[in-house]
Amino acid sequence: MEVLKEKVEEEEEAEREEAAVRAERGEKVVRPMEVRREEAPMTQEMLRDLERKLSDTEMAIPEKLSTFTKDTIAISKLPLSYQSNTLKEEHLLQVADSFSRQYSHLCPDRVPLFLHPLNECEVPKFVSTTIRPTLMPYPELYNWDSCAQFVSDFLSMVPLPDPLKPVVQEEEKVPPKKYAVKPPRDLTSRFQQEQETKKQEEIKAEEERRLREEEERLLDVEKAKTDPLHGLRVHSWVLVLSGKREVPESFFIDPFTAHSYSTQDDHFLGIESLWNHKNYWVNMQDCWNCCKDLVFDLGDPVRWEYLLLGTEKSHLSLTEEEEDGLNDDDDVENLGKEDEDKSFDMPPSWVEQIEISPEAFETRCPNGKKVIQYKRAKLEKWAPYLNSNGLVCRLTTYEDLECTKTLEIKEWFQNREDMLELKHIDKSTGLNVDYFKPGHPQALRVHSYKSMQPETDRIMEFYDRARVDGLVKREETSKTMTEYYRGRSDFLFYRHVSFGDRVKKLSLNSAESNPRPIVKITERFARNPEQPADEDVAERVFLISEERIQLRYHCRDDHITASKREFLRRSEVDNKGNKIVMTPDMCISFEVEPMEHTKKLLCQYEAMMKLKNEEKLSRHQAWESELEVLEILKLREEEEEEHRLTISIYDTKRNEKSKEYREAMERVMHEEHLRQVEAPLDYLAPFLAQLPPSEKMTRWQAMRVKDECLSDFKQRLIDKANLIQARFEKETQELQKKQQWYQENQVTLTVEDEDLYLSYCSQAMFRIRILEQRLNRHKELAPLKYLALEEKLYKDPRLVEFMKVFV
Amino acid sequence: MNWLYDSVEPRVMDEDMLKLAVGEQGPRDEAGQLARQEGIVFKDVLSLRLDFQNILRIDSLWQFENLRKLQLDNNIIEKIEGLERLVHLVWLDLSFNNIEAIEGLDTLVNLEDLSLFNNRISKIDSLDALVKLQVLSLGNNEISHMMNIIYLRRFKDLRTLSLSGNPIAEEEDYKMFICAYLPDLVYLDFRRIDDHMKELAEIKHQYGIDELKQRENLSQAQLDDERAQREELEEHKAAFVERLNGSFLFDSMYAEDVEGNKLAHLPGVSELLQAYKDKFVIICLNIFEYGLKQQEMRKVELDTFNECVQEAIQENREQGKRRIAKFEEAHLLSLNAIRDESEVTNLEMKVAEHSKDITELFDMLMTLEMQLVEQLEETINTFERNIMDLVALFIENVQSLMAQCRDLENHHHEKLLEISINTLEKILKGELDENLPYDVRAVSTLFVDKDTIVNAVGTSHDLHLLKIDNREDELVTRTNSWCSHLVDAIHKDEIMRNRRRVKEIHQYVDHVQNELDNLECSEIID
Repeated sequence: MEVLKEKVEEEEEAEREEAAVRAERGEKVVRPMEVRREEAPMTQEMLRDLERKLSDTEMAIPEKLSTFTKDTIAISKLPLSYQSNTLKEEHLLQVADSFSRQYSHLCPDRVPLFLHPLNECEVPKFVSTTIRPTLMPYPELYNWDSCAQFVSDFLSMVPLPDPLKPVVQEEEKVPPKKYAVKPPRDLTSRFQQEQETKKQEEIKAEEERRLREEEERLLDVEKAKTDPLHGLRVHSWVLVLSGKREVPESFFIDPFTAHSYSTQDDHFLGIESLWNHKNYWVNMQDCWNCCKDLVFDLGDPVRWEYLLLGTEKSHLSLTEEEEDGLNDDDDVENLGKEDEDKSFDMPPSWVEQIEISPEAFETRCPNGKKVIQYKRAKLEKWAPYLNSNGLVCRLTTYEDLECTKTLEIKEWFQNREDMLELKHIDKSTGLNVDYFKPGHPQALRVHSYKSMQPETDRIMEFYDRARVDGLVKREETSKTMTEYYRGRSDFLFYRHVSFGDRVKKLSLNSAESNPRPIVKITERFARNPEQPADEDVAERVFLISEERIQLRYHCRDDHITASKREFLRRSEVDNKGNKIVMTPDMCISFEVEPMEHTKKLLCQYEAMMKLKNEEKLSRHQAWESELEVLEILKLREEEEEEHRLTISIYDTKRNEKSKEYREAMERVMHEEHLRQVEAPLDYLAPFLAQLPPSEKMTRWQAMRVKDECLSDFKQRLIDKANLIQARFEKETQELQKKQQWYQENQVTLTVEDEDLYLSYCSQAMFRIRILEQRLNRHKELAPLKYLALEEKLYKDPRLVEFMKVFV
Repeated sequence: MNWLYDSVEPRVMDEDMLKLAVGEQGPRDEAGQLARQEGIVFKDVLSLRLDFQNILRIDSLWQFENLRKLQLDNNIIEKIEGLERLVHLVWLDLSFNNIEAIEGLDTLVNLEDLSLFNNRISKIDSLDALVKLQVLSLGNNEISHMMNIIYLRRFKDLRTLSLSGNPIAEEEDYKMFICAYLPDLVYLDFRRIDDHMKELAEIKHQYGIDELKQRENLSQAQLDDERAQREELEEHKAAFVERLNGSFLFDSMYAEDVEGNKLAHLPGVSELLQAYKDKFVIICLNIFEYGLKQQEMRKVELDTFNECVQEAIQENREQGKRRIAKFEEAHLLSLNAIRDESEVTNLEMKVAEHSKDITELFDMLMTLEMQLVEQLEETINTFERNIMDLVALFIENVQSLMAQCRDLENHHHEKLLEISINTLEKILKGELDENLPYDVRAVSTLFVDKDTIVNAVGTSHDLHLLKIDNREDELVTRTNSWCSHLVDAIHKDEIMRNRRRVKEIHQYVDHVQNELDNLECSEIID
C-alpha cells in the first residue's frame, strides 16, 4: 500500500503544483486495456477472457489498498476531514455513483470508473478532492521537471501482491514502474511489420536486421518472454496540458521516473479517465492507436464526458481549442456565474496542505536513501551528510543480468574536506580514478591508479593555476615519470625522467632512502619570444649515465632545420698533467646559421658550465617530484581514512561553530533584554542611593524611603497630568485664535487659504481630542497606579521587614 | 685631481692598454685559461673599467660595439668624445675628470646611468637623446643656474639625481625647487625625498609649475598636431594624391602667374574665376577621393597576397619540418645500429642504406622547395598582373579627370580672352575710361594692343596647363615606380627566400652525411 498511498499524496502534491502554480492542469489518468479490444484480429474468446481479467483487476485493487493502510498510518491522528465525509462530499459521492451507473449502462463493455477509492481511514473519497493545489516555498518545485524529479525521488516502491494469482510470483514482484517504462515488444506484431518493410528493402539490410533480431530475441529470452500482463496494468500518471505558462504542447509525466513523454509515446496505450481538482472526465475517444489520436480538448463533451456540469466551464473551450487564452481570471469569473445556476460544484479538498520541511526536502528520499535497480545496473542515492564519508550516489554496473559480477562502480561524494567528487572504480581493469573539485591541498584534479604503492602506474592531474610550478599532469610508470607543465616563466612544458634499476648499496647503507638512479632527463621548452630562435633551447636531454647533454634549439621562423648541440661531459688530463677544460671535440654542434661567437671554446665552456648546473637542478627537481608523489599518496591515505566533511557557514543546522555563536548571541540578547526589563523596575534605587552606604537601614529610614518614593511618584503623576493639561490648553488657544482670525478675514480669504485653514482646524481638533482622552485616562489611572506602587513597596524585600512591624 | 694632472704624464688610450684592461678584467680560472688560449675579441666585451689611468683623451673604443658598462672615472679627460659607436652602453661613469661641457652623447640612446661627478660642467644640456636616463650624477660641478633643473623635466624615467657641491645647492630654495619641478624624482643627493617634502614643495611652487605645465602641454599639443598632419600627408602621399583635397593645385597655378592675377581685376573676371575655381576644386576632390579608395584597394590586394604567400610558405615549412623530424628519428636509430654493428658486410650494407635515406631526404626537401617555388611564381605573376591592372586603371581614371581640369582651363581661357578683348576694345574706344576701376588701370599696360593682351592671356593659360601637366606627370611616374618597385621587391624576396632554403637544405644534408662519414671513418680506423 505504501506505493499507492505515497503515490496519492505525492502526486497530489505534484498536481497541486501544476494546477495551482501554472494553472495548466495535470490530470490523473487511469488507462484501461481497451487497446486490445480495438486491435482487429482478435477472437471473441480472447476478448472475453480479457474482459474477465480486467474486471478482476479493478476489483482487486481497492481491496488490497485497505489491507496495506492499516499497518502504516496512525489513523486516529489524522484530521477529521480524513475520517468522515461532509454533506457536500456525500452528495458528490452520490453524484459520482449515479454517474458511474449511467456510465456502466451506456458503456457496458468498459471498465468501471475509478471514482472514489477508499482513503487511509477507509472512507470513500472522490478522486478530485484528493488534490489540493499548493504553492511550495522551494524554487526547485516551481518547474515541472525538478518538481517531478523530487516526487520521483520521494516515492519509494513496494511491490504489490499480484491481484490475479494468490500465490505471489517472482516476476510480478518487480515494481510496475519498470514495465511501464519499457514494456517489452509484442513480438508477433512487430514481426509482421518488419516483414512488410523487409520486402521493400535490400537483402543486405535484411541480413543485418536478422542478426539484430536474433540478438534481440536472445535478449528477450534472457529477460523474460512476452509480458503476460501487457496492456493489463493500470497506471496513473500526470498529463500537463498546453497553454498556460508557456507550455507549447501537452505531455505526460511519469511520476516514478520523472521523465516526460510526448502524448504520442508508444508506452501509453490508452486513457480511461482523467481528473484534476475541479472535475473528472471520461475519455470517449478510441484508443486503438494508443494515445496518438487523442484530442485533449476537455471542453468537448463528445470526446470527454464530464462528471460535474458545474465546473465544466470554459477552461478548454468547446470549439476554440487553439485559443487557450482563457486564463484563471476568466475561470474565476465563470465560476462565480455558474455557481448561481448550476446545481453542484466540487467541494474543497479534504486533504491537509502538504508541508515539506527543509530537512525532508534535503533528504528527498524516504530515510534519505534510495535504491533503483536497472537492468544490469544499480543506482543508490543518499542524502548529503547521511554517510559519514560524504557518499551521496553510487552507480554500480554489472556484467550479467543477475547483478552478481560488478563491472564498474561510480561513487559521487559531496561536502568532502579533501574535495573528492567522484570515485570511479573499473573492476575489469582494476583502475581507480578519483576526481577532485578545486581546493585540494595539493591541487589534485584527477588521480588514476591501480594501487596506492609508489613507483607504480599512475596518472595525477592537477589544477595548474593553483600550483606554483604550473604542473598539469604527472604520469608515472615503474621506470619513468613524465610531467607536463603550463604557464611557466621558464617556458618548460614537458619533463621526462627515466629511472634505472636500483643499485644495491652495500657499504654506504645509511638506512635512508635509496632513490632510483636517474638515467635520462628530457626537458622540452616552449618558444621564448624574447630570445632569438637559435639561442632558445627547445629540448634538452641529459643522458646522465653517458655523461652527455644534447640540446636542440627552436627552429627559426623561415627555416625548416634547427640547430643542435651535444656536449660530452668528460674531463681529461693532457700529457703534461694539466686538466683539459674544454676541447673542440667535447661539443659537437650543427648550426643553421653559423655565428662567430658560438664557435668559441669559451662560449661553449660557459654554456656547458651552465648546463651542468641545470642538470643538477633538474635532477633535484625529479627527486622532489618523487617525494611529492609519496607525500600525496600519504595524504590521500589519511584523507580516505578520516573522510572529514565540510559544513557551510550558512548551514545553521550542522555548523556547530555557528550554532554556538548564534546561541551565544541569543543568550546575550536575552540577558540584555532581561536587564532592560529589570532596570525600570528598581523604583527604590535612587532613594536608597541617598542613604549612607553599607549601613543597615533603620526603620525610620525605611519609612522615609517609602514615603519619599511615593511622594515622588505622586509628584510625577501630577506633573504628567499638568503637562497634558498644558498642551491641551495651548492647542485650544491656538485653535481659538485661528478661528478668530478666520472670522475676521473670512471675506478676503482665497480658496487655498481657506482650505489650509480647514485642514488645520480638523488636525487641531484631532489633536485636542486625543489630548483630552489622554488626560481623562490619566486621571482615571493615576490613583490606581499610585495604589499599585504602594502595594509593591509594602512587598518590596528590602523594606518588607520594617513594614511588617509598622503594620 | 689637479695635482694628478700636474705631476703625472697623461697616457694615451691605445690598443695595448685596452688589451691589458680586458685581459685583467676577463674571465678567471679555467674559463680564463680558455680565454687566454683563444684571445678575447673586443666586440664580445660587455664591461670595461679604465679608471686611474691618466687618460686625457678617449680613443680607440670603436671596437667595443657591444659594451654595456664603461668606467672612465678618475682620469684627466677634458672632452667627451669617441663614444659614438658604443650604442648599447647602459652605464657610463665619467666622474672625477676635467670635463667642461656635456657633449658627444647623442648616440647613446640606451644609457640609463650617467655619472659626471666632480667635473667642471656649468650647464646641463645635450642630453636629449638619453630618453632612458634613470640616474644622473652631476655633483661637484659648476652649475649655478636654477633653470638647468627645468631641462631635466624631459626625462620621464629619471629617479635619482645628485647636484650637491654645485653653486645652486647653496641656494636657499634648492631642494624645494627640485622637488617641485621634478615630481617623479625619488632620490636627491643620495637621500630619499619624503612625501611631506614633496607636498610642501608642490604647494610652494604651484603657480610656477602650473604655468610651466600649461606651456608644456601647449607645445606638446602642437607637436602632436604637427605629427598628425605629417602622418596624414604621408598617407595621402602613399595614395599619390597629396594636396588634392583642396584648392592647393589651383592656388599653385596662380601663384606664379603674374598676368593671370592682373587679369583677374577685369570686370566680370572675378566671378568667372570663382566659378572656375569651384569646379576645379570639385574635380580635385574627386581625384583625391578616388585616389584614397584605390589606395585602399591596392592595400587590400597586397595584404591578401602577402597572407596567401605566408600561408603557403608556412605550410611548406611545416611539411619540411615534419620530414626532417621523421628523418631525424630514423637517423638516430640507424646511426646507433651502425655503431653497434660489428660485421663488415652488414655494416657496409647499413651505411649504404642510410646514405640512400639521406639522398632521399634531400630529394624530398628539394622537391618540396621546387614545388613551393612554382606555386609562388604563379601566384606572384597573378598578383603582378592584378596590381598592374589596378595601377593602370587608376592612372587612366586620374588622367581622364585631369583632362576635365584641362577642359575647364581651356574654357576659362576662352572666356577670359573674350572678356579681355572686349575690354581692350572698350578701352581703345575710350568708352570705359572713367568707369574702369583703379586696379584695372594699374594693368592697363596690357591693354595696349590686341597682341599684348592675347599674349598675356595665353601665357597665363600655358602656365596653368603646365602646372596641371606637372601634377599629372608626377602622379603617374610615382605610381608606376611604386608599382615596379613593389613587384621587384617581391621577386627579389622570393629569390632570396629560395636561395636561403636551398642553402639550408644543403647544409643540413651535408651535416647528416658528415655524421655518417665520421662514423664510418672511425669504424674503419678501429
